[in-house]
Amino acid sequence: MKRRSTIGAGLAAAVLAASTSLAGAAEKDLVVGVSDALTGPAAVYGVPQARAVELAAEEVNAAGGIRLGEDTYKITVLSYDDKANPTEASNSVRKLIDRDGARFLLGFCCSGATGAVASFIQNEDAVMLVGNAAERSITTRGIDNLVRTRPPADYTGAAAGTFVASKGHKRVAVIGALETSFYAMYVDAFEREFVKGGGEIVTREAFGLKDRDMSPQLTKIRALEPDALLVVGYVEPAAFVYRQSVELGLDVPRYGFTSGSEEQFLRVASSEQMEGVWDLRPTELTLQSTGETGRAYHENFTARFGVQPSPSSPYAYDQLYALRDAILKAGTVEDAAAVAKALRELPVPKEAVMQYIPIDGRMFDGNGQAYTTNGAFQWQDGAWVFVQELPSVAEDYSRFLSSIDG
Amino acid sequence: MLELVQQITNGVAIGSVYVLIALGLTTVFGILGIAHFAHGSVSMFGGYLVYVLVASQGVSLWLAIPVALIVGMGVGGLIEFLAYRPVRNANHINAFIIALGLTMMVEGINLQLFGADQVVIPTGFDRVFEIAGVTIPETRLYVILAATVLVIAMTAFVEGTKTGQAIRAVAQNRDAAILMGVNVRSIPLIVFAMSTMLGVAAGVMVGSLFAIAPGVGEAMVVKGFAVLILGGLGSIPGAIIGGLVLGVTEALAAGFLSSAYKDVIAFVVMIVVLLFRPQGLLGGAK
Repeated sequence: MKRRSTIGAGLAAAVLAASTSLAGAAEKDLVVGVSDALTGPAAVYGVPQARAVELAAEEVNAAGGIRLGEDTYKITVLSYDDKANPTEASNSVRKLIDRDGARFLLGFCCSGATGAVASFIQNEDAVMLVGNAAERSITTRGIDNLVRTRPPADYTGAAAGTFVASKGHKRVAVIGALETSFYAMYVDAFEREFVKGGGEIVTREAFGLKDRDMSPQLTKIRALEPDALLVVGYVEPAAFVYRQSVELGLDVPRYGFTSGSEEQFLRVASSEQMEGVWDLRPTELTLQSTGETGRAYHENFTARFGVQPSPSSPYAYDQLYALRDAILKAGTVEDAAAVAKALRELPVPKEAVMQYIPIDGRMFDGNGQAYTTNGAFQWQDGAWVFVQELPSVAEDYSRFLSSIDG
Repeated sequence: MLELVQQITNGVAIGSVYVLIALGLTTVFGILGIAHFAHGSVSMFGGYLVYVLVASQGVSLWLAIPVALIVGMGVGGLIEFLAYRPVRNANHINAFIIALGLTMMVEGINLQLFGADQVVIPTGFDRVFEIAGVTIPETRLYVILAATVLVIAMTAFVEGTKTGQAIRAVAQNRDAAILMGVNVRSIPLIVFAMSTMLGVAAGVMVGSLFAIAPGVGEAMVVKGFAVLILGGLGSIPGAIIGGLVLGVTEALAAGFLSSAYKDVIAFVVMIVVLLFRPQGLLGGAK
């Protein structure tokens, strides 16, 4: 009897110990917030970004989640539509932080909305990872808890200016969403390098983000007889510019800065109308320019959502893997400052789709800025084809960025 | 000179769309006294319908357009019967509020049925014609021609048919029209059907030339009312002239002044016209 009770007591102790151990290794929920343009003109960038975060979260969860000690964190993504509007974005982020308890904020496709959130995020117990928004000042404000995966617009614009000058063009007409500061910044940097190469900008014509009839501006440009056209803007208005330039018989080489997928352009313009157009942008996702991870991403995204990923969507996909690595390095999901610090010390995650240029071996420089190579892509027979890399020195630009105050 | 002619041609194409929108608005306003704000949203519904029929269902564009026009007539009749008829004899503010509510409702229905993405109606019209150095894309040419045909057809209907005479009689003096035996209950129904059909045609044009998206209908109706005021409230020739003037002014402003302020410049022109002719370009003096 005594023996039986001893065995029984031993079994009970073992069960208690096991259950205590199981309770310690609990599966926990990690809320990741996404604020992005899910409707409106900027949704062409925001929706693919939100989906990219969702895809990456599903992959991380399927691989067992994020293990910290005895805890395993499964990621839950909460996405809000900020319509690329500064007020909406501020409200979305407030809801994510105050109501949903999210410490990690991803997405952010568009500069105006992102700039508004960046203006107060430093005071929050949160980490902000910016995606496609390209306004330079986002990473010049010295915000410790903010990093960005996409390089600033002028980093790419300068490389584009050198490239177009190398093609022998002397008179370039610009048409674009020039009231949007990062597009204006791209054109300014383009012009600086283009003028160095002996060229001149003959006119700068603007259109609004919702404009779809650019024939008056293109008629004016046609009369100026430029030898090339530079188009900067969101995919949809840019596609209308390409279509209407052909319709008006503006037969000059066309360069652009848009980051749209084939599918997005073909909703507006025919492949014939797009033929020969160049897109001068960071070396984002195209099947020709990407590696194995990029091809897997393209395949998984297409299978999961039934549409192809946009070229810029991996900025958001890579955010989630950078966040995972930073959490693992910091060993906590509670201490946002530690995670923010760990982000700036990370190497590029092995799952990253974009081709980042590490600065001192790290994905993000001291400003919290990541850099990719820049590339020249050309529309050939219905698809963007990677033609060549553009000259871009990330270290120099990083130093330049550090020298800017605010 | 060539640039000027090209800009005018560009303006005539977009002006043709404004003409159709304004014609629908002016007939409803001139005959029934209703500021039908939902007209733009209903027009875009027609554009969306053609897009769905062509792009998703594989229906020929030439079949999809008449189907949408007929559906548009039905929707117009329903709007009059269900929304405006019950307040026909009430204070004007009631119809005004219904018009605002209807706008929100139709926008919401469009959003639910067709989504938030912009859509472009695939026409396959890729040819470009060149006449004496002026280029006219095929779609724009068809838009101008279609608008011309619709304007002529509407004028013939209003001026040359018994129903048209009845409509004009109701517009001039409703009580006298009743005494003359005109069935005034059916006139609003016919006017709304006709007006919405013109709006749907404009929606198809916008969707083919540019794109349809949430908010486009509201923007179009603002332009439509601007044309209405410019041309003269209730005046059919005024809507035609006003639409073309607005379209051409916008194109010239964007081409020769600043594209950033093309809307502002167009409205400045409207204000200047009204300073000298408060009744609008072709409105009757009171």
